[in-house]
Amino acid sequence: MMQEWGLDIDWLRATDGRIASINLESARRRSWSRFFQEPQRIELAAAVLENERLTAQFIGDVDSLDRVDFLARYLDKVGASSTGALLIRAQVASMLHRFADAKRYVAQATLDGAPEKEVRCLELTIDQACGVNLELLLHQRREMARESGRLDDLVPLGGLLGDLHHFAEADRVYRQAFQAYRDVSPFPVAWVCFQLGVLWGELVPEPQETRAEHWYRRAIEYLPSYAKARIHLAEIYFSSGRLEDAGTLLVPVAPSGDPEVHWRLADVMASSGKVAEAEAHRQAARDAFESLLKRHLLAFADHAAEFYAESGGNCRRALDLARINLANRPTLRAFEQTHAIALSAGDADAASELLKDAAKRWGSAVVFRSSRLAQGQILEGAVA
Amino acid sequence: MSDHLDGPRQAADPSVDLTDLFAFTSPENPRRTVLAADVFPSCGSTAIFSNVVSHSIVLRRARVVGLGESTKFETTEPEIRFSVRFDVLEPAADPNPPQRGTCTLPDGQEFRIVVNDEKGASTPDGTFRVFAGLRSDPFYLAWMEAPLKKGPNLLLHDNVLCIVIEFDTQRVLKPDQGSLFAVIAETLPLKATSPFGSQPMRIDWIGRPEHTNMKLGYSGLPPGAEDLRDLWNQQTPFAISEQLRPVFLQRLKESLRIYDIRDGKEDWTESALAANANMFLDDFLLFDVAKPITDTSHLEIEKSTLNGQVYQTGGGRTVDANVVDIMVTWLANRDREFLLGGATGATKPGTKTFPYFAAPNTEIQTVTERVDLAAAPDQVWGLIGQFGGRWHPLIANLKLTGTGVGQLRTIETIDGKEIVERLDSTDNAARSYRYTNIVGIPASNYVGMLEVKPNGSGSSVEWRAQYLANNSPNLIVRAIVSTLFKTGLDSLKARFGGGK
Repeated sequence: MMQEWGLDIDWLRATDGRIASINLESARRRSWSRFFQEPQRIELAAAVLENERLTAQFIGDVDSLDRVDFLARYLDKVGASSTGALLIRAQVASMLHRFADAKRYVAQATLDGAPEKEVRCLELTIDQACGVNLELLLHQRREMARESGRLDDLVPLGGLLGDLHHFAEADRVYRQAFQAYRDVSPFPVAWVCFQLGVLWGELVPEPQETRAEHWYRRAIEYLPSYAKARIHLAEIYFSSGRLEDAGTLLVPVAPSGDPEVHWRLADVMASSGKVAEAEAHRQAARDAFESLLKRHLLAFADHAAEFYAESGGNCRRALDLARINLANRPTLRAFEQTHAIALSAGDADAASELLKDAAKRWGSAVVFRSSRLAQGQILEGAVA
Repeated sequence: MSDHLDGPRQAADPSVDLTDLFAFTSPENPRRTVLAADVFPSCGSTAIFSNVVSHSIVLRRARVVGLGESTKFETTEPEIRFSVRFDVLEPAADPNPPQRGTCTLPDGQEFRIVVNDEKGASTPDGTFRVFAGLRSDPFYLAWMEAPLKKGPNLLLHDNVLCIVIEFDTQRVLKPDQGSLFAVIAETLPLKATSPFGSQPMRIDWIGRPEHTNMKLGYSGLPPGAEDLRDLWNQQTPFAISEQLRPVFLQRLKESLRIYDIRDGKEDWTESALAANANMFLDDFLLFDVAKPITDTSHLEIEKSTLNGQVYQTGGGRTVDANVVDIMVTWLANRDREFLLGGATGATKPGTKTFPYFAAPNTEIQTVTERVDLAAAPDQVWGLIGQFGGRWHPLIANLKLTGTGVGQLRTIETIDGKEIVERLDSTDNAARSYRYTNIVGIPASNYVGMLEVKPNGSGSSVEWRAQYLANNSPNLIVRAIVSTLFKTGLDSLKARFGGGK
C-alpha cells in the first residue's frame, strides 16, 4: 500500500530511460558535429550546451564539464561575441561554478541587449547557487512558477524552498511539478523524484530514509543511468547495512567517471571486509577527484571536501577545499560543511571563526535559526 | 524548419518531434502510394524511437467546396489511420540491440517491424509494406533571416528517424469514391489516466511543411508576441478549436503579410491574402491519387484552387520536392518569379526504390592538433604557410600542379603512399589556409585547415580536419590523420622550440 507521503506517479509515462539515454548521446554527438560545421551559429552552440548539461546531470558523465569548457573557449577562439555567445559562456561558467565569471558575462550580455527573460533566468540560477538575496529570490521564483506553472520553473522553486527549510512547501511544489508535466521525456520526471529524495533524505533535520529511498528508486526506474540517484540511494542502502544492494546499484555507473561512485564502492568494500578492493576504489576516487580539481577546482571543491573529510581520510585537505567552496559561494550549506569539517579536523579556532562569519552573514535569516550552525552557536555560547 | 523543433514541448524529447510528412506515388510501382513521416531532428547515428507515443499517419477523403477567394477544402470521416508503436529495447548484452515495433493498419490488423531493416515488413498479401529507421534528412532550407537572403542548407548532413508506409492505392484508398485526400501525421502519448483528471496531450502534428515554424512562429514576429506553436500542436487535426481559429488566423494573416513584402513588392491584395491564410489554417497535406504527383506539384492543388482554377496535378509531397522554395515563392510573390534558396537539394536525394529515403549520413568527424612554439607567428608562417612547402618530415616528395586557389599538391609519403590535396583558400594576413583531400585519406568530404596564431611572445599552430569516415572505421582514419598532424607539429617544436 502506498505510504501517505508517497504519490502515485505511474500515470506519468515517459520514454524508456534506456532509449532516452541512447537518444541523448546520439543528439549530443550530432550537436557537436553541427557546431563544428558552423561554429558561428550560436543556436548550434546552445544545442551542444543543452545536451552536455543533460549528460552531466543525468548520466553523470564528468567529461561533459571538459567539453563545455572547450565549447566556451572555442567560442572565444572563433570570435563569437554576440549576446547569445556571452550567455552561453555565462551558463558554462555557472555549470563550472565559476560564478564571478558567470556574473561578468551576464553583465556584459545585459549591456549588449540580451533578452531580459534569459538574463533574469541566469541571474536567478547564479544567485541561488551563491545563496544571495534568497528572500527576494524566493519571491521571484514564486512569481515565475505561478505565471508559467511549468515543471522547469517549479523544480528550482522547490530547491530554493528546501534551502530555506520550508520543507512541506517544497514537497508540495514538487508534487505540483509532476501534475504540471505534459511531456514524455523521462529526464524532468527523474529530476523531480531525485529532488524529493534529497529533500527527505538530506535536507530535513531528521532524515526520513524510507521516504527518500522511495523517490531515489523512482528516479532510477525512470532513468537507470541516473548516476547521482544511484549514489544517493546506495548511501541509504549502505547506512542500513544493505551492502550487496549498494554495490549492485553502483557498479553499472562506474564508467561514468564520477569519483563518488568509487568512493561509495570503497565504503561498501571496506564494510564487507574486502580491504584491498576498498583501497583500490578509494585510490580511484582520490585520483579522479584530484584530476577533476586540477581542471575544475570550483565545481568539485565541495564534493572533494566531503570525500576527504570522510573516506578520503585527509581532514586538512578537506578543510582547504571546503574553504575554497565557501569563498566561492557562501551559502548556509557551505558554512555548515566547512564548520563541520573544521571540527573534524580538530581546528576549534577555525570552527569558531566560521560560526561567527556564518552568524554575521546568515544570522538575520529565518533559515539560520533552524540550521545546525545555530545549534553550534548555542553550544559554543554555553561553553563560553 | 519544416516542422523541426516546432515548439518548446518538442525540444523536451526530440524523438517525438515530427519534422516532415510526405505523400507521393511509389517510384517503383505507380499503382502504389507512399506516405511517410519523420521524427527527431538532427539525430545522431544511434537514434531510436520513443516507446510511449503512437506515431500515426491519418488520411481523410477531401473535396473542393470553394474556389478563388472562397477556397475551402472539406474533409470527411471515416479516417484512414496507420499507427506505429515501438517497443522498449530487449535486455541484451549487445549495447545496440535492435528495436522492434508494431504497425496497426486502418482495419485494425497488426504486424511487426524491425527498426532499420531496409527491406521493411509486408502484410502476407503484399498490400502494405512498412519501414522504420534512420535516414538522411530529405528536408532542406537555405534561406537566412528576413529580408530573404540565400544561405547554405541549414540541415546539411542531418539524419532523422523515418516511418514509410506503402500500400496498394486501389485496395486501400478506393479512389473511385473520390481521389483527393488530406493527410496529417501526429505523435500521441499512449493512453494513461492522470489522477488529476488531465489527459496526456498531443505532442506534435504536421500537415503542410513549415506551418508552425515559418508561418505561426515566423521570423519578424513583434516583440512580446505569444509563441502559438505549442498551442497549435495541441489542436486536434481536422478540427481546430472554433474558439482559437480567429487567434491562429490573425497570426497567419500577419505572417503572410510579412512574407508578401519580403521581396520589396506587394503581390497579394488584402482579400486574397485573407483567403490564403484561411486556406492554410486548415492544415493538412492534400494529394490526389488520380493525378501525377511530381517533385514540383507540391501545393499546386491549393494554389490553383485559390486562383479559381481546376487543379492539374496530384499535389502531395515527394522526397525531393523543394517545398520551402515553392512555399516562399507563393507567399512572397504569388508565383510571379520562382525564388530559389541557397541549396538545390538535400544532403542526399531520395532513391527510386523502397524505402525511398536515402541511407543515413555518417557523422562528421573532427581531428584537431595544436602546438605552442617559441617563435613569432610570421617566422613560423614563413616556413609552413606555403601550400607547397616541404617542411613535414613524412613527405618524401611533393609535386605542385597549378597556382593559387585550386592548386593541387601531390605528396608521396616516406612509406610510399600518395596523397592529393587541393588548396581551397589562403589568407596570409590571418596566417591560415584551407584545403580538401582528393585522394589518399580513407574518408570523404575531408577538409583541412592550418593556422598560425600569436600566443604571448611566441605562436600557436593549429591543424584541424573534418571528414566523413565513410568506408573505413573512424578510429583508423582518426589515427592516420592524427599521426600526420602530430608528426608535423612535433617537427616544428624541434625546429622553433616549444612555447610556454
